[in-house]
Amino acid sequence: MTRRPSRLHLILIPLSLVMVAPLIWMVLLSVSTRDEARRFPPGLPSGVDWHNYVTAWTEGPFGTWLVNSAIVSLTCVVTNLVFCSLAGYAFARIPFLGSKVLFIAILATLMVPIQIIMLPMLIMLRQVHLTDTLAALMAPNLATPFGVFLLRQFFTALPRELEDAARIDGASRLRTLRSVLLPLMGPTLATLSVLTFLNVWNDFLWPLVAVQSPQNMTIQLGLQNFQSSHYSQVSVLMAGTVTSQIPVLVMFVLAQRFFVRSIASSGIK
Amino acid sequence: MPARRRRLRAGDHVSGWAFVSPVVILIGLFGLVPVIWTFWLSFQETDLTSPGTFVGTAKYSKMVHDPVFWQSARETGLYTLMFVPLTMVLALPIAVLLNQRVRGMLFYRMAVYVPLVTSTVATGIIFSQLANPDFGLINGALSKLGLPQQMFFQSTSEALPSVVAMTVWGWLGFAVIIYLAALQNVPGELMEAAALDGCGRVQAFRHVELPMMAPASGFLLVWLTINAMQLFDEVYVTTKGGPLHATTVLVYYLYTQALVNFDGGYGAALGVVLFLLILVVTLVQLWLGRRTSHYEAK
Amino acid sequence: MKHRRGRIFAAATTGLALAALTACSSGTSSSAGASKITMWHGYTDAEAKEITLLGKQWNAVHPDQQVELIFNGGNDGTLQKTLASFVSGKTPGVAYEYGSSVATLSKRSQTDDVTSLIRGTASFRWDDFFPAVQQAATVGGKVYGVPALVDNLSLVYNKKLFDAAGIPYPTATWTWTDFQNAARKLTDPAKKHYGWAYVNDGTEDTVWRYIALLWQAGGDILTPDNTKAAFDSPAGLQAMQLLHDMSVTDHSVYLDPGDQSYQSLFNGGKIGMLWTGPWDLASFDKVSYGVQILPGKLTHATISGPDNYMLFGKDGQQTGWAFLQWLTSPEVHLQFATATGDLPLRVSETKLPGYQTFLAKYPANKVFMDNLSLNVTKARPNIVQYPKISAAIGVAVQSVLLGKATPQAALDKAGAEVDQILAGN
Repeated sequence: MTRRPSRLHLILIPLSLVMVAPLIWMVLLSVSTRDEARRFPPGLPSGVDWHNYVTAWTEGPFGTWLVNSAIVSLTCVVTNLVFCSLAGYAFARIPFLGSKVLFIAILATLMVPIQIIMLPMLIMLRQVHLTDTLAALMAPNLATPFGVFLLRQFFTALPRELEDAARIDGASRLRTLRSVLLPLMGPTLATLSVLTFLNVWNDFLWPLVAVQSPQNMTIQLGLQNFQSSHYSQVSVLMAGTVTSQIPVLVMFVLAQRFFVRSIASSGIK
Repeated sequence: MPARRRRLRAGDHVSGWAFVSPVVILIGLFGLVPVIWTFWLSFQETDLTSPGTFVGTAKYSKMVHDPVFWQSARETGLYTLMFVPLTMVLALPIAVLLNQRVRGMLFYRMAVYVPLVTSTVATGIIFSQLANPDFGLINGALSKLGLPQQMFFQSTSEALPSVVAMTVWGWLGFAVIIYLAALQNVPGELMEAAALDGCGRVQAFRHVELPMMAPASGFLLVWLTINAMQLFDEVYVTTKGGPLHATTVLVYYLYTQALVNFDGGYGAALGVVLFLLILVVTLVQLWLGRRTSHYEAK
Repeated sequence: MKHRRGRIFAAATTGLALAALTACSSGTSSSAGASKITMWHGYTDAEAKEITLLGKQWNAVHPDQQVELIFNGGNDGTLQKTLASFVSGKTPGVAYEYGSSVATLSKRSQTDDVTSLIRGTASFRWDDFFPAVQQAATVGGKVYGVPALVDNLSLVYNKKLFDAAGIPYPTATWTWTDFQNAARKLTDPAKKHYGWAYVNDGTEDTVWRYIALLWQAGGDILTPDNTKAAFDSPAGLQAMQLLHDMSVTDHSVYLDPGDQSYQSLFNGGKIGMLWTGPWDLASFDKVSYGVQILPGKLTHATISGPDNYMLFGKDGQQTGWAFLQWLTSPEVHLQFATATGDLPLRVSETKLPGYQTFLAKYPANKVFMDNLSLNVTKARPNIVQYPKISAAIGVAVQSVLLGKATPQAALDKAGAEVDQILAGN
């Protein structure tokens, strides 16, 4: 067979361009001058105006917002890994009283989005003086029903013999989990980490409801707040938008396969 | 041995509960309790700051007589009916394309996936600029082609389709990943057998691969529908529900009622309705999915 | 009311940086002796610089009454954020609020009624404030705000576009017909030139320009006793009809979706005329513009949208009140006005020698100042139902501008809705 360029490129190239165009346009606007960003018909910037980034960073505490987002997302990743592993293991392996009922109750909350529970959450958090704090942002995501479900599936599929030897040697369940099963859980935990991180990092509605002070905002809420005061400074707004997307974008480009596999496995039923 | 077994089981109860207790407490506190509370709140007149008063089903009868509620329900339905099929119909052929052996596939895939990690807020901000009637790239392209320029987010008839286009862009990568994973699970031998039987590539796809996409399609249908019904972020960032409520979807309406007008009871009642809608849609779709996959198994 | 979000170029929002530095001190803390309060503002650009400067001056000499200024992301979102802070329990001591927000906030227990403070402090000289300013802070005879800003709408036009179209500049005796004709002549679809711009997002920004038209035609929003809608009248119809004719028939109006793009368009020479206030002038650095009072029907009435500093909780009443008395005293406020281009709030400011410096620096503000004493004759009804009434009128204006309803149908619908709102529904 002779290999010549596939005709599929003729579809793939325009397709890719359409998908990437909005992001390229964002970057181009972010280095345009104010007049270049506001003309018709629109066109390429004549040079690279980095000044917009300086302006964006002096006018919006993007650093604080990024750090807040990182704190909130990473905390939720860690708590999900620990708590969901424990619960997933117990639901899969330990025959304890009420396990079925509990598991079904937890699964039922899979269908409850934040929109439905945000008002009582707000009232609850106020009563313990936690509104407008990073802790409030973490609360709904500290343990997710999806994580419990994912880990339970994993343990159910695992051969029982693996842990039996350790159990017969008298190791406690916790010890077995830590020393025998943990090394096998890598890919599943990685999946849970990626999905939890993306979810919490990109969350918008709950931060919008739970936080008012600029210093407690996450990057998404901060960006929206920044937008509302920079409507007419398109280039500066875009510089802020690029700033807000860079961390996850870089992670994605570096670890594409990893992201894709995680997202694909959220489709397992 | 009976004594030993009993002891073991008692230990199991203790360790079982110990293992699940963090999750049970957290999900109970931030998952189950608030749901029940929302139901309770929907029977109250409350501004969310002071204790409410019980008003029975007043909030629900208000809803029945509220034209904006009905409009928001309609816009949500319309949005879902456009968004879900469009995403799925576009995703499947793209997934098939991305499953071919072509040079540079890594880049093509990355291009399709990258909107997935772009946040909803950023998506909204970027598309507001792209679709700006006076300076936007899209109208720039239209005018180059000699086509009339459009108002997009600023027109009552184009705003909702514009939101659909924007969100399809954001979700396409997700649907493609799901389909691609399903395609890659199709055993190679099956396709080879089809080729031996004289099936063309297209026929092989129709008779071998397409039927095997049913579970993935079922999952996407449920997942995309649930998410479509929860649309909020992109609307908040681009149109704020306007113009003339043309993009006031249910969750946006809930937000404004509860946290702009501070009618907490009404917001909660809207939440209850949303909850029931999601529940019904999910159950119906799961049931349909079971039926269809049953037929295909035969 | 003024929309600040568009007015920023090299804004040094020092307030934000300040806020970031002093994390964890949101809300209010009153440790023994010294009391420290937070004050939310949406100032940007020159105003942000000036308020920060004034804040530092105050804090330097008042160690016991510290004020921490926090930029809250822009004035448009302040009402929403304030209400949310009542739910979260972390309310600022003072916040800059739009005049249209007073009625809503006055209903809330967290909001301070400052009537007795104002009346009990002779040195504050409440009567010295312009009448429009006093009215805007008062709901049902009680005062809920300390005046923060006064403005009004005037006609701002691009001289070059008028010259090019061969139209004489607007005069103080311009009629609606003159205005409509000029807008039509200034419109050029091929070049994407518009005669006029109208903010069409359905908010109070949409409504107040209509109210000015309504007053010019001799109408009013509500009956004098505030019990029924009065805009569904011949005057209301004339005003609506003008909007319809200009937007739907002439296509001479640029409809701004609420992102303040009209500013860039005017500055880029794409829009001939605006109805806007002093806050926009600083952004028009590329065009040669003139300012004239609004065109008239029966009168040349205009509308003023004063904003207030509102006080919340005990902190607001103590430290907040002390700070605001100083901030709005004639000398200090004139300093603020001269640095920012805001109009003076008090009559006595116009008697100070510094006022001439102000006028020399902002010559266009002369029209706005004259307007304030001549054409600001009425105020919006400051009643608790006002936000709902405004929303109903907003929808009516929007549907007429978009050609979705006839002027009469839109008025009938809004009139019925407003009657229902006032009847307690």
